[in-house]
Amino acid sequence: MSTSGTSNPEYVNARVRARRAALFSDEEYRKLVRMSPAEIARRMEETEYETEINALGSRHSGVDLIEYALNRNLAKHFDDLLGFSEGQIYDLIARYLRKFDAWNAKTIIRGLYVGTTREEIETDLILAGEFNDRMIQRLLEAQTIEDVVTILQGTIFGAGLGAAYADYEETGLLVPLENAIDRAFYEHLLGDLPRSEPVQLYREFLVAEIDFRNARNALRLARSGADLDPAAYYIDGGELFRPSELNMLVQSPDELVTHLRESKYARDLSAVLDDLETADSLIAFERGLEKALLAYSKRLGNVYPMSVCPVVAYILAKEREVENIRAIARGREAGLSQSEIEEELVIL
Amino acid sequence: MIETIPELTTVLQEGTLTDPQAAAALGVGLAALGAGYAERGIGAAAVGAMAEDEDLFVNGLILTVLPETIVILALVVVFLV
Repeated sequence: MSTSGTSNPEYVNARVRARRAALFSDEEYRKLVRMSPAEIARRMEETEYETEINALGSRHSGVDLIEYALNRNLAKHFDDLLGFSEGQIYDLIARYLRKFDAWNAKTIIRGLYVGTTREEIETDLILAGEFNDRMIQRLLEAQTIEDVVTILQGTIFGAGLGAAYADYEETGLLVPLENAIDRAFYEHLLGDLPRSEPVQLYREFLVAEIDFRNARNALRLARSGADLDPAAYYIDGGELFRPSELNMLVQSPDELVTHLRESKYARDLSAVLDDLETADSLIAFERGLEKALLAYSKRLGNVYPMSVCPVVAYILAKEREVENIRAIARGREAGLSQSEIEEELVIL
Repeated sequence: MIETIPELTTVLQEGTLTDPQAAAALGVGLAALGAGYAERGIGAAAVGAMAEDEDLFVNGLILTVLPETIVILALVVVFLV
């Protein structure tokens, strides 16, 4: 429960492996793709998600029920992870899971900005991060954005938010606040990591994630042709692009693909890059990036069994599962065909 | 490490540790220490696995005490000297 003291990777790994085994297999997905949202909810009731479906069944229905149950289950598992890990491994897991803190903080600020009710904000939160229940309650009770910023002082987001709030008051836009939260998250992600071989590989994984995110943003910007400043979307800490390079590459998608081909990710990405050039499909490319990341994390987990690597592999696989089921449910609701839905899935 | 071994053996032969029984006792003690360290990790993992699935209690128990065999083997030395 704290970052000091001895670490317990054995215990955490045993529990994570058991939970990993409970994830849906690709056969399961193939069955789900053929079901209607109500049937998916019923099927979920027979698995891992039983408690959540039962608890939320009276209040929500259809795809909303599935979505909230997925979020709640995700939050439960990730909260457990933080609950039973100690020492260095807690620190390493918390670094990654703070992205949910960032998400929650942004959701609350956005909610206050547009004036949604407290209940609505609360259903959209994913309580998987490091913030405890009291902190979340205090944030939800806040009446103004200024209150939220004050409450967040003392967390990792505090310092940047204080400065960004002045900008917000001047412009009335949320962008400075949201940027400050994202930046604080990414700064803490890579800041003073301990030196050991598995941790260095974990770092490489985090860098790869940032690189892929930058690549995706760049490609989206290049495709949309919108006149936006790429530097505003640039995330620090990656090794693939420098901000100046990014500005140039966004101008021409072909050069961007060549740049990716010459990078150290070339081997993992060559198949999706070929697809991108021939089929011209951005969806396939984005799914390909996610798949490459998932495969990489899984490989790391097998190479270093008693480190943080299997835990990260599990976190990523769980996130993908939640996204897959959501995509199936939403796709079925919108009446997409089976093959269209399958294209949206990321299955290893 | 390697180059100190000849010196160590001379110390053991000529020096303080000449009593075979004392050496055997030391051997058992070190073996027990090693077994304890191994069981620490296995025990933690076994309890973690049991927390997820209670049926694993028997497997966990067996795997946890497996390193104990090294102490029993070390104990043989005590009867040999």
